[in-house]
Amino acid sequence: MKTWLKEHIDFPILCIVCCLLAMGITSIFSATYDTGSQMYFQKQLTFMGVGFLLMILITVIPFRTLQLLSFPLYGLSILILVIVLMTGKVVAGSRSWFGIGGFGLQPSEIAKVTTILALASFLSQRNRSLHHLKDVIITFSIVLVPVGLILLQPDMGTAIIYIASFLLILYWAGASNLLLITLIAPGVAALASLFGTTAFVIVILLILLLLFMQRGNRLMAAMTFSFTVLVGASTTFIFDRLAPHQQKRILTFLNADADPLGAGYNVAQSKIAIGSGGLFGKGFLQGTQTQLNFLPAQWTDFIYCVPSEEFGFIGAFFILILLTALLLRGIYLSSIVKSRYASIIVIGIVSIFAVHTIINIGMSMGMLPVIGVPLPFLSYGGSNLITNMMMAGLLLHMYANRREY
Amino acid sequence: MIGQSEASPHKTFFIAVVVLMFIVFVGRLLQLQFIYQDEYGKKSAENSIRSIAHDPIRGYLFDRNGMLIVDNRPSYTVTITPSEFQTIKIGYLADLLQLDTSFIQERITKGKLFNRFAPIKIKRDISFQELSALEENRLQLPGVDYQIESKRYYPTMAKAPHLFGYVKEVSDQQITETPNTYRPGDIVGATGLEAKYEHDLRGQKGVEFITVNARGELLGAYNDGKNDLPPNEGNDLFLALDARLQSFAESLMTNKRGAIIAIDPDDGGVLALVSKPDYDLTQFGSVTPINVWKALNTDEAKPLFNRATLTRYPPGSTFKMVLAAAALQEGVINPTWGVNCSGVFQYGNKAFKDHIPHNYTGMIESIQRSCNVYYYQLMLKTGFGKWTEYGTAFGFGSATGIDILEENSGLLPSEEYYDRVYGKGRWTQGYLVSLSIGQGEVGVTPLQMACYVATLGNKGKFHTPHVVRKIRDKSSGRIINTPIETRVISLSDNVWYLIREGMKRAVNSAGGTALTARVPGIDVAGKTGTAQNPHGNDHAWFIGFAPFDHPKIAICVLVENAGFGGVAAAPIAGLCIEQYLFGSIIRKTLPQPPTITEEQALQD
Repeated sequence: MKTWLKEHIDFPILCIVCCLLAMGITSIFSATYDTGSQMYFQKQLTFMGVGFLLMILITVIPFRTLQLLSFPLYGLSILILVIVLMTGKVVAGSRSWFGIGGFGLQPSEIAKVTTILALASFLSQRNRSLHHLKDVIITFSIVLVPVGLILLQPDMGTAIIYIASFLLILYWAGASNLLLITLIAPGVAALASLFGTTAFVIVILLILLLLFMQRGNRLMAAMTFSFTVLVGASTTFIFDRLAPHQQKRILTFLNADADPLGAGYNVAQSKIAIGSGGLFGKGFLQGTQTQLNFLPAQWTDFIYCVPSEEFGFIGAFFILILLTALLLRGIYLSSIVKSRYASIIVIGIVSIFAVHTIINIGMSMGMLPVIGVPLPFLSYGGSNLITNMMMAGLLLHMYANRREY
Repeated sequence: MIGQSEASPHKTFFIAVVVLMFIVFVGRLLQLQFIYQDEYGKKSAENSIRSIAHDPIRGYLFDRNGMLIVDNRPSYTVTITPSEFQTIKIGYLADLLQLDTSFIQERITKGKLFNRFAPIKIKRDISFQELSALEENRLQLPGVDYQIESKRYYPTMAKAPHLFGYVKEVSDQQITETPNTYRPGDIVGATGLEAKYEHDLRGQKGVEFITVNARGELLGAYNDGKNDLPPNEGNDLFLALDARLQSFAESLMTNKRGAIIAIDPDDGGVLALVSKPDYDLTQFGSVTPINVWKALNTDEAKPLFNRATLTRYPPGSTFKMVLAAAALQEGVINPTWGVNCSGVFQYGNKAFKDHIPHNYTGMIESIQRSCNVYYYQLMLKTGFGKWTEYGTAFGFGSATGIDILEENSGLLPSEEYYDRVYGKGRWTQGYLVSLSIGQGEVGVTPLQMACYVATLGNKGKFHTPHVVRKIRDKSSGRIINTPIETRVISLSDNVWYLIREGMKRAVNSAGGTALTARVPGIDVAGKTGTAQNPHGNDHAWFIGFAPFDHPKIAICVLVENAGFGGVAAAPIAGLCIEQYLFGSIIRKTLPQPPTITEEQALQD
């Protein structure tokens, strides 16, 4: 019995997920303590229950069934994304929610799972190759359709998660370096040009060097380079012609310290919360930043500040260890599963968790721009939590079926 | 291509990204939570904890007998908390308190810069009518409140406005010059002892810590008030002043212009300091009505001017003892030297007059009867240098160092001074003749005169005058004595005898010019003087000490535009001495104004 369990259940991932959920629910309890109601706490517990059921369901679903369902589920999620654009609720300027009873559903979260399933299904088909233009176009379409719909909502943060994770999946699935450079270089050049001419020139030279090191299609490389320079140059051109308040918004996005009373306020308060925690923290429910609401809606995107303030370095470090262990375990799993389908799904999930973690904690500690993305398993939010637990279910599923082809 | 082999570069890349993320985030955590923990800890405390200052009670003043002379009384101060106040109510409040809307607006703007959650003071010491009007309209004026503060109260008859000084609201300049001490609306000593001993009297503000949320709303006491600091009361001052003598001396100067200053010859303690005309300190209740200020500032009698330490007049004949001391001590004359006074002294082609022919006059008689001719001749024998030297020794020409802020140094001419003013060789020995009898350029303050006569009384110990004898430290309860600074003027016993004997006879023997200073049962010694005044009537001086053998009081009286010292100043000094030594006036008949012939005899 014991060996059977060990054979079929990935205890490390299960343990890590349970620990993260425990830290998350504790932090939400603390962050919403002074509101007087335990609404957030109870709702999150409910989501957790639903999430567990879905996680178990996904774990035990037959491997082939899942594979067969991949495209239909993807299609369904695209349909829902279209419907939400037409009938959804507007929250904080984005039409990305369905209101169902007292609960909200965010389809762009669930669509993460179905998009990965569809991508994995397509890329694992016989004779598909990222070296064929047709397959590349189909692969891109699978991702760009939901991304386009999400940008229409508009929800910049979620779109960034999709694109960043997609690039990692492409890399894992064997895309050529030239293709990856072609995808990444223009964005990097545009960003660099906003930091000044010197940064722009250095980046351009690096890209040139990278392109020279690639064997193969010189014509493609030259086109990539020209496009990159064009995008970089036009970025400053466009930026200079923007209205001052638009310029300010972009600069604050890049450097929150430039606007300590606006967007920078949250980052400043977040750094104060984390920094003032010290080694052992101020104690549970004793964090002044948390308890006195110096961070608006701290239970969502800035949840990492709560354990960092109240449990100090010990708490913050513990969460980092858990998330790192989850990601490393995922990378390990992606390399031991026998099927390409499973491998791409696992690495896709690892990518999504990694991008969420890096952007969220990086933002909380004032190292990255403020992009509103939740921290996996810790932030309050039903759709996100359930999606994360479904993805954890997929990891467990892939472990249990790791010998399947 | 199925999955990725275990050692593929792709897997290494993913692991590298995750490990790098971990290392960078742990590094950042260490930076924030260890290296910058103090800084962020402080910021988090500042975020949520606000401090409210509580004003301490200003220190009390006691006289030499332990009588409370400067006290505190409660007064009501209206405050506004800018974060709660509704700006549209500003006109209504202004009407209620009879203030300018612009004044209230300015106060609110200034207070907001400090902390918009802290109440700012709008009007101090409001009347009972204003207080009840405020109470009735409390609900319509959110953010308006009142605090109970203390204001100065003077329970005895001793008013001494120039000595005690007044308090006023702190200026912006003072706030920036003494950081962490004052906030707008605080009161601070402006003149006199209140200003000089501000550091002791003000005490230390108390602090109450409260917790607020991100919107600045009060949530309650921080840490159950364990970090709160109660205010420390200001330190008490124990003065050398005798409140009864002070009030008595003040009453004697009613409707006069001038000054009285009495000093304890044993230690230089100031027993009384009167400057008239004066003003009513109770009108300076930290906010002084503009019209009161205007009246005081434009009054030609200058009531704000402290005559006891600031006014500068020629000392007249009271200065003769300086020349006597110089001549005797330096051996210019022997004690038996005398002149034959014909009532006039011819120097060059100029005749210097005396009041009357004194006939043969020796040292003692020259003081007793204030013979001018004696000193004209003595000055020429002794020389300018010695006169300046001894004048300097007795403290003239420089500030005494008394512990109140305003003091005039006076002027003691010297050869260098005349060379500078008139040019070398452009002045003659004739200038000295005037100086010999204390007229001309020489200028002294009543305070300098009191120190001088105290030194004559105690035979050479020049104590730096002081008002405060002891300070009681309220936090420790310890009493700190203010140090007494003394320098010695050493003259031979015989010189002291001759000078002091002359002063004793001036008051007590027939022919003396200060007979009006006599006190029954006590040997008073003294000297009159009359400062020539080119702008009007002469100023009357008297300096004296008593009892003769072991003086307990030295006194200087100056009455402006009152004529001879013996007529106008000496009787006042006699009464003050009697009051101080007996505790009351024991004589049955008070001195009457002298007749014309009596007045002639009192010329000095």
